[in-house]
Amino acid sequence: MEKKEYSRLNEVLYTKTLPNGLRISLLPKPDFHKTYALFTTDYGSIDEEFIPLGEKEFVKVPDGIAHFLEHKMFEKEDGDVFQVFGRQGASANAFTSFTKTSYLFSTTDQVEENLTTLLDFVQSPYFTEGTVEKEKGIIGQEIQMYNDDPNWRTFFGLLQGMYPKHPLHIDIAGTIESIAEITADDLYTCYQTFYHPSNMNLFIVGNMEPEEMMAMIRNNQEQKTFAPPQEISRKFPQESPADLVKVSSLQLPVSRPKGYLGIKGFAPLPETGFELLRYRTAASLFFQLLIGPTSELYLSMYNEGLIDDSFDYEFILDRGFYFADIGGDTENPKELTGKIKELLLTAQDRPEISEERLQLLKKRMTGNHLQSLNSLEYIANQFSKDQFGEATLFDMSAVIDSIEMKDIQKFIDHFIIENHMVEFFVYPDKDEA
Amino acid sequence: MSLVLAENINLHVIPTKKYKTIQIMIRFATEMTREKASLRTLLSSMLETNSRHYPTSTAMSKKLSEMYGARFNVGTNKKGNVHQLNLVLSIVNPKYLPHETALLEEGLMFLNEVLFSPNIKDGQFDLATFGREKNNLQSYINSVYDDKQSHAALSLQELYFSDSEAQKTPGFGKAEDVASITSEELATYYLKMLREDTVDVMVLGDVSTEDVAEQLASFAWGERAVAENDQMYYQKPHGDVLEKKETLPVKQGKLNMGYHTGIYFHDENYFAMQVFNGLFGGFPHSKLFVNVREKESMAYYASSSLDTFRGMMTVQTGIDSQNREKVLRLIEEQRQAVIDGQVSDEVMLQTKAMLKNHYLLSQDNPNAILESEYLKLKFPQSALTDAQWLGKLESVTLEEVQQVAKNVRLQAIYFMEGNA
Repeated sequence: MEKKEYSRLNEVLYTKTLPNGLRISLLPKPDFHKTYALFTTDYGSIDEEFIPLGEKEFVKVPDGIAHFLEHKMFEKEDGDVFQVFGRQGASANAFTSFTKTSYLFSTTDQVEENLTTLLDFVQSPYFTEGTVEKEKGIIGQEIQMYNDDPNWRTFFGLLQGMYPKHPLHIDIAGTIESIAEITADDLYTCYQTFYHPSNMNLFIVGNMEPEEMMAMIRNNQEQKTFAPPQEISRKFPQESPADLVKVSSLQLPVSRPKGYLGIKGFAPLPETGFELLRYRTAASLFFQLLIGPTSELYLSMYNEGLIDDSFDYEFILDRGFYFADIGGDTENPKELTGKIKELLLTAQDRPEISEERLQLLKKRMTGNHLQSLNSLEYIANQFSKDQFGEATLFDMSAVIDSIEMKDIQKFIDHFIIENHMVEFFVYPDKDEA
Repeated sequence: MSLVLAENINLHVIPTKKYKTIQIMIRFATEMTREKASLRTLLSSMLETNSRHYPTSTAMSKKLSEMYGARFNVGTNKKGNVHQLNLVLSIVNPKYLPHETALLEEGLMFLNEVLFSPNIKDGQFDLATFGREKNNLQSYINSVYDDKQSHAALSLQELYFSDSEAQKTPGFGKAEDVASITSEELATYYLKMLREDTVDVMVLGDVSTEDVAEQLASFAWGERAVAENDQMYYQKPHGDVLEKKETLPVKQGKLNMGYHTGIYFHDENYFAMQVFNGLFGGFPHSKLFVNVREKESMAYYASSSLDTFRGMMTVQTGIDSQNREKVLRLIEEQRQAVIDGQVSDEVMLQTKAMLKNHYLLSQDNPNAILESEYLKLKFPQSALTDAQWLGKLESVTLEEVQQVAKNVRLQAIYFMEGNA
């Protein structure tokens, strides 16, 4: 077990990779009552085409299967795993993203029992045709609920424009039609391929004794046998700027129109974890400089009534894709996206992109980073994303400190490209709203 | 530890080294009315957006950025009979920063500025800011209703409290009321709030009372005439059940129900009520989740929650619209099952374990600690040690739970029928 001290932050992190490939990180927080454990596989909704464990040919599975699998993991021959956690005083949950599926519990009691339950239930699949059929009703309801959420529909509408072929544009839960095709065999195929310990990590933060905790996990894993680890081959549709759907729109029952600009990244990204994290940090600082709440450009758009408090931007960088989305509610959606486009394309010469403002926003980002470390869930979620190799959340202060104006300039040249942009609009559905 | 800062203004410091931040909350509290909800929410937007020295939102954001990304929020909410306006500043504990700074002093100076020097000239708020914030608040209120779960919950509240203008109004006010507020009226109300509200200042973090008391006491608090009022709202149960149905272009229907419990925060039956809610619909092992959602596949979500400042319990479900009658019957069956004592020892233990877990977890959250410390000041009966709190929970018997389940009375049903 390796021990790493972050004395500046007053944190100590323990890590170890077990012989079966499972990577474990422990972060003790003695003042807290809570212990929070997150067990994550590097498998999400976009991983639809892959070579199953032990086979040679690619297969394609139905949309929404990773999320369906996540739901089904909780049901076992002898009942529902939520009940087991509940009896042991813990709250359990799970979530599926584009590239990850995570199972978690949070507890103030019986940590060892709950951890055993977590490891055992995720590592013992049980799917039958009967239970799979029943789940289709429950997930169908969930899909309908997402369909009623205008913000969710807007996000996927924009993704549809940027990723018309890539499965990123498909709702994480799939569609009523796609989940109807899912079989127990499909679930086993996905499970065997992606839930191998070598494709997973376990992060535990909170009240614990790290030596005992590690011994217990090792002991649990030594009692189980797994197939030899194998490199996972995934396949994704290739897209070029010519595939982008430049402008699209939807009518939804909302009270105010929405306008969004999406920018899709096509160029290769830095290869080392530290450089990649610096890239993402520079990206985030760039958007803050140009259109964040301290920018005069933001103020003038706000004062003109072009944007309101719903205006937001995000830069998402994940396994195999990166993009930005910017926008919000507005009376003039086309004017808004046009304005943002203009600001982005002339960003080089804007006074907002200055050394002085960069120093200010680095201060802000450092503070925001430290504030977020109050949340054990945030710490665990960030570590479990495991996107930046050797660079972790606890290196963020140093990474922010290292960003200079030339990194911002490099980001602009690399990412802000006119024919990588799409626009998406939502209009109120007057007949129904 | 508590200290009087000025007449009717108390400071409470909660020292802890657990967090990387220091939180400071200034809370103004007054009796809830329909009119005040809109005035105070608009006022909170004005105070959060700018001030005399930081006259634009960017100047304000710049100041917060200089204070290492300090977070500043002014918000309102309604709790029972009381409407609260809270200024909350969260700063990083300076000891984690790369360079020495007097961040705490700077943070308090900032609070003094935004609270006592708002952007008011000649008896009215800056008109440009006012017009914008007024529009934005109306849009925000309308957008809350775009979220169908909120829409259903607010519609049930309106139905359940149909006799009380104050109680059926959301804490953030009403769009049509906001529309009629003038800038002079709001400036006048601001002064009235400063003079007449109950004020508490709470500080949580690695600080001592001496670190903050002198600076806070130097604020221009002024003369005050405060009327303390009962925070609890009481409504008599009625024999009939009020119903409302609305048809909207949504795929998923919503069925929400309101029950009279008559049980209030740290009343005699408070813990029995918590256990009942846990058995009935508060957790994933509760009857509503297990029997309505899982066993019958009748709902995507089905849960219950308590409002112990209004003696009320609500049930919220998302369903296929044609299943309304069946879901209603199933929900009533779950309550009847508790009345009949159909609760295994195991489920009882599990429910208590979950409540214990939630209680301890809340003590890891700085905002939850601020809130519970505030309530301890207002409701001394809730000032229990961990051992006392857990002991009271432990001693709840099944008979007590059956009794509270029996006394719960259905009062209102709101149904959103989907036709999309």
